[in-house]
Amino acid sequence: SSGPYMLGTGLLLYLLSKEIYVINHETVAAASILSVIIYCIKKYGADVAAFADKLNEEKVAKALAVKNEAIEHLQTAIEEEKKEQWRVEGRSYLFDAKRNNIAMLLETNYRERLLTVYNEVKKRLDYQVALQALKRQKEQDHMIQWVERNVVQSITPQQQKESIAKCILDLKALSKSAQA
Amino acid sequence: MNLSFFDQFTSPCLLGIPLIVISMLFPSLLIPNFDNRWVTNRLSTLQSWLLNLITKQLMIPMDKKGHKWALILTSLTILLLTINLLGLLPYTFTPTTQLSMNMALAFPLWFATLLTGLRNQPSISLGHLLPEGTPAMLIPILILIETTSLLIRPLALAVRLTANLTAGHLLIQLISTAATALLPIMPTISVLTTIILLLLTILEVAVAMIQAYVFVLLLSLYLQENI
Repeated sequence: SSGPYMLGTGLLLYLLSKEIYVINHETVAAASILSVIIYCIKKYGADVAAFADKLNEEKVAKALAVKNEAIEHLQTAIEEEKKEQWRVEGRSYLFDAKRNNIAMLLETNYRERLLTVYNEVKKRLDYQVALQALKRQKEQDHMIQWVERNVVQSITPQQQKESIAKCILDLKALSKSAQA
Repeated sequence: MNLSFFDQFTSPCLLGIPLIVISMLFPSLLIPNFDNRWVTNRLSTLQSWLLNLITKQLMIPMDKKGHKWALILTSLTILLLTINLLGLLPYTFTPTTQLSMNMALAFPLWFATLLTGLRNQPSISLGHLLPEGTPAMLIPILILIETTSLLIRPLALAVRLTANLTAGHLLIQLISTAATALLPIMPTISVLTTIILLLLTILEVAVAMIQAYVFVLLLSLYLQENI
């Protein structure tokens, strides 16, 4: 496996010794530029390769990310759908509860209105009762006054004198008993 | 091959056939083709990354109308970059050391920016000739100066690139000649000179890349003013 190296060395020595390749200033310039190039490649070669690989990786990763995101999205949609299906099963209970609620509200309302009606009717009947009582009272008062008025009118002057004389005699008797 | 110092700058010719076209187009062979794959090998990935970087860097400051220039500016950057870097290898010919080539690149592109500006928004373009806030007395002189600076732009672009690269190559040659000549006489000084040569080479690599970038950057700036 030392064949190529032998060929290279021999060729180089041949060119140099026969002055087919002349060493002039370009040789030194060549040596310097080649050393700069080789130094740069040795030092930064791996980094540049890693950078290029990273660029490619990012490109592929971006596309993969899109795909994964789409898959995740769809899976979330599946979960949501299942939840919706479960919810549908429970819907009948929901409706029953709502129905009961409404029935209770209607009942309450009806009862309230009944109470109002009762109160109103009672008020009217009370009024009538009070009216009759008042009429009674007025009639009674009037009767009493009429009776009194007639009695007072029927007292004749003779009776008046007799009653006054009686009262005076009573008073004298009383005063006597009081003095004694 | 007895080379004089200026042989490296002569346009290459083989048996009377000018090879300048081949030497200008050769760098494009080194850029790998565009695969129809989504995930490519390392070289293509790096190349795409570099192209992306250059295009974004050039096009972000510009508004949408300037994005029509994205292709030509990016390809110009890559051309200059590869030509400059390849010229550092020994026994190579760098086309950008020829003033003719650089003028051929700079003059039409600069002229295109100028005409675009004058055609679409003539008063704004001409308004760039006078910076804001100059005192009234200086206006005539300043307009003359600004016009001169405007007209000298293509020459400046071309000569900047040519001079930088030519000077760099010439310096490398001179210092390496000194190192070679001193090697049998004073080996220590020869070693020192070689170290200087190494540093110079690193500088030249940097200059090669920077000059390409500066060329295109200035063009994009002229474009932004005028688009």
